[in-house]
Amino acid sequence: MSMVSAGASQIGRSLPRLEGRAKVTGRAEYVHNLRLPGMLYGKIFRSTVAHGRIRRIDTAAARALPGVFRVVTGEDICKVIPNPYYGPAFHDQPILALDKVYHVGQPVAAVLAADPHVAEQAVQLIVAEYDELPAVYDEVEAVTSKAVVHDELKPAGAFADLKHLQGRKNTNVALDYHLRRGDAEGALAQADHVFEHEFRTQQVMHTPLEPFVSVAEPRENGITIHSASQGPSFVRVEIARLLGWPENKVRIKVPYLGGGFGGKLYIKLEALVAALALIARRPVKIALTMEEQFYQITKHAATLRIKSGVSKDGRITARKCEVWWNGGAFADVGPRVTQKSGFSACGPYDVDNVHIDSYALYTNLPPAGALRGFGIPQLCWAYESHTDMMARALKLDPIEFRRRNLLRDGRPQATGTLVHDTPLEKILDRLAVRLNWGAPFDRGNGTVRRGRGVAIGFKAVISPTTSMAIVNVSADGSATVYVGTVDMGQGSDTAMAQLAGEVLNLPAESITVVHSDTDVTPYDMGTLGSRSLYHMGHAVKTAAEEALAKLRALAREVGLPEGTNVPVAELFRRKYGMQAGNVIGTGSFVPSYTPPEPGTGLTTNVTPFWMAGGAGCELEVDTETGHVRLIKLVNVADAGRQINPRIVETQLSGASIMQLGFTMSERMDFEAGQMTNASLADYKIPGLHDLPRVIENEAVESYEPSGPFGAKGVGETATFAVSPAIANGIEDAVGVRLMQLPLTPEAVYRALRAAHGTPLGEE
Amino acid sequence: MIPFELAEPRSLKEAISLLDGADETVRPIAGGTALMLMMKAGVFHPTRLIALRYVAGANAIELAGDKTLRLGALATLGALERTKGLRDAFPVIAQTLRTLSNVRVRNVATIGGNLAHADPHMDLPPVLAALGAQVTVAGPNCERTVAVENLFAGYYETVLARNELIAQVSVPPLGSKRAAYVKVTTRSADDWPALGVAVVIDAEGRNVRRADVFVSAATEKPTRLKAAEAALRGAEADETNLKRAGEAAASEVETMADPQGSASYKKELVRVFVARAVRKALGLGDAQGRAG
Repeated sequence: MSMVSAGASQIGRSLPRLEGRAKVTGRAEYVHNLRLPGMLYGKIFRSTVAHGRIRRIDTAAARALPGVFRVVTGEDICKVIPNPYYGPAFHDQPILALDKVYHVGQPVAAVLAADPHVAEQAVQLIVAEYDELPAVYDEVEAVTSKAVVHDELKPAGAFADLKHLQGRKNTNVALDYHLRRGDAEGALAQADHVFEHEFRTQQVMHTPLEPFVSVAEPRENGITIHSASQGPSFVRVEIARLLGWPENKVRIKVPYLGGGFGGKLYIKLEALVAALALIARRPVKIALTMEEQFYQITKHAATLRIKSGVSKDGRITARKCEVWWNGGAFADVGPRVTQKSGFSACGPYDVDNVHIDSYALYTNLPPAGALRGFGIPQLCWAYESHTDMMARALKLDPIEFRRRNLLRDGRPQATGTLVHDTPLEKILDRLAVRLNWGAPFDRGNGTVRRGRGVAIGFKAVISPTTSMAIVNVSADGSATVYVGTVDMGQGSDTAMAQLAGEVLNLPAESITVVHSDTDVTPYDMGTLGSRSLYHMGHAVKTAAEEALAKLRALAREVGLPEGTNVPVAELFRRKYGMQAGNVIGTGSFVPSYTPPEPGTGLTTNVTPFWMAGGAGCELEVDTETGHVRLIKLVNVADAGRQINPRIVETQLSGASIMQLGFTMSERMDFEAGQMTNASLADYKIPGLHDLPRVIENEAVESYEPSGPFGAKGVGETATFAVSPAIANGIEDAVGVRLMQLPLTPEAVYRALRAAHGTPLGEE
Repeated sequence: MIPFELAEPRSLKEAISLLDGADETVRPIAGGTALMLMMKAGVFHPTRLIALRYVAGANAIELAGDKTLRLGALATLGALERTKGLRDAFPVIAQTLRTLSNVRVRNVATIGGNLAHADPHMDLPPVLAALGAQVTVAGPNCERTVAVENLFAGYYETVLARNELIAQVSVPPLGSKRAAYVKVTTRSADDWPALGVAVVIDAEGRNVRRADVFVSAATEKPTRLKAAEAALRGAEADETNLKRAGEAAASEVETMADPQGSASYKKELVRVFVARAVRKALGLGDAQGRAG
């Protein structure tokens, strides 16, 4: 590094991931590989009933098993953590069940042993008896159900965007969000056409290849937790709160993650391992099995009702949306999902009269939280299916109908916030080009019919949130970046190195990125919602700029002229007489934000940027069996200026393939609250043979003026539009409309039979 | 895991002597691809496992001059897949193995275990049944021969006694007959099938002399579809007759619901895929129903 910019730009470089070699050679560090001296393994005994009062937990046989160190119940937890309830939105989740259980699979007791197999065996010796209580599973029924999941709701008050949550009693509604703009009822009454549809989505799981894992290590004066977490800063705050300790006694360390997708946010196993380690006075590790993950956190099932008024020239004049989110037994971050998605429920369309009600519901199912899109994929499934159904009914081309109604820059979104730098129309144009939309299309014949579909969605990045970064320039001129952003496979280390390198005029691969360690790296709100590149990117850029300014000051101090090309190492030598010292730059970023007005949900500044994404597909349907074969899937997204185009492309294809699973095959099946397919043998994620022959990914030309070097986040964008694009393609091929995910062959076949007037029996 | 005894006999006779006719917790283990999952899930706790992997000579594979295929019960599916001449002698077996689980499983799973496990979702049992294969069963006092077709008593049940083991599988030559297996999955390509259809057809061109038709996965055990066979016997494999065979198959089959599909949907799959399997065997089209 020298003080004069001479090297190649780091922005727009398709640099291979910095950690790629370590990962493929098996050298990268994961919590799963961590073994500490004296460490005990914890295994969890889980509830077998969906809702019940605990009558008795008999741990005698488990305790008597040779090799068992200790069996711990909720009562024992209270001795080290008197009020053991946690959660980002409500303090509703006990570390181990107390008095009641709320869903099948809820942790009720834990066994500690030096040998994990002994702990596992002891778990099977525990007996619990419950007085079962009436339970509720359906999100719409939960609104009026006599079965109430929680007796009382206590808001956490932890996050700026959830400050308005209220304590409530005798209800399953954790949050109801309302948006009122213009006069939706009046405009619907006057509309030339009115369309109303109801859609549903299913409960699914994140399925990270690395299941949840945490290790707690009690120290003389504090505790260290090694965890596969996407949000170490929040974990520290929450563990400190639970223990009644200052933050600086709690250290959270995060190496690489084997995937997170929103599942590993907030507290997951951390409070349990912390409590167990304090009870045992030894390090404790808990690693879930793939099967146990189904009970930890999931994606919301939802019911979405949407009603639109359309003028005779094809303009949407009014829209009413009602959305019920099935949050399961604990709110986790469901209220944020409800709210974020609440205000975007109208979709990327310019509609003057909007009426939105969005409800976060408690039910007696495993809890639901964030999953790659914070509710937007569910909403987009509904509004983009709805859009196509209207276009069809109005005999308008689906792309043309969308084009007529798209939000343009400078126009207010439903909240009243003006949209800026969001190239929705360009995305639609590129989809049309890549699908060759205007050209004649081979529709197949006989039992194989072909169709194509498009969809487009957008999301406001979460606001307001904070990121802090440190950039350290050592005396030889090498640089280290300290960030709390967790690299869980999305390539954030590489991106942060590129941003710092651009400012410091260093090749990104020469920069070291220090992983989350709350004793070392500064605060970050969390690696979530495609926020890191923008927020942490800003903080890193600012920190690097501050370091650069200090280096320039150092040059002046040692008597060098402005713009000198003397190497940085020489500056330190001149200042300190040897290779010594360092320069530290710090940066923080929090975007501006105006909270929505209570009642109307309106605000002039709901988000710093919008991310837009569209999908298109060509597919074949086997009319005799309902099998759908994707021939081509196109993802077009707006990522602002691309810092690393290769990583952008893999984020787009990865997100779309993940959503393809949620669209075609993945579904958690329940009978009376009991999951019946809790294993990867019976819960099917897509494999290589399930992918379309062609997946095309494109990030359109775009520049976000408020972003670091023009960048926006891109982790979630390609999840939005995949499901409705496929459902729209199915209707295009065979004329049937599916209102519920997943789009299984049986669902398609049943719809075909129903359309033919010969419905298939249910048995 | 609860400790258990692991016996490693060197001969079939010794292995049989270690079995216990009455005790359900004493089980033989071959590749372990199914049993280990049951143990990991905590649904099976053995007191004694009799590992068959060291039984001398039990993994031999012989493709005789007359194209009879003889498989020691401990032959792995992977070894079978790599057997020289298999593709020519039994193209249907070679092709079935390619989509049977994955290479890691095939390299340890054995032919004997594949049959004895009696999970109706397995791919090879309907194929072997349709090919007229027989198993040699060894017990404490004698050996007996059972047609694969008659090996299955129900869902995860065989006619084997607890102290009997499959020793060998023998598949008669395919000769001029043609065969096909169609695996129908409904969730992901690597899922257990919702339906497996195996057909072996003796035909002159399109004129069928005899057809052996077995379905599995949709049924509680691999099942011969006699009405479909009758509809095909002596018939030309044209659209009308294939449709008739599909209708016959659908009316005679008793399907069961599972996570792969409802009983009524599986009946529809049977209706469609019996005809498609015949077409595939005769080279008249692929399993997706496209004309050949």
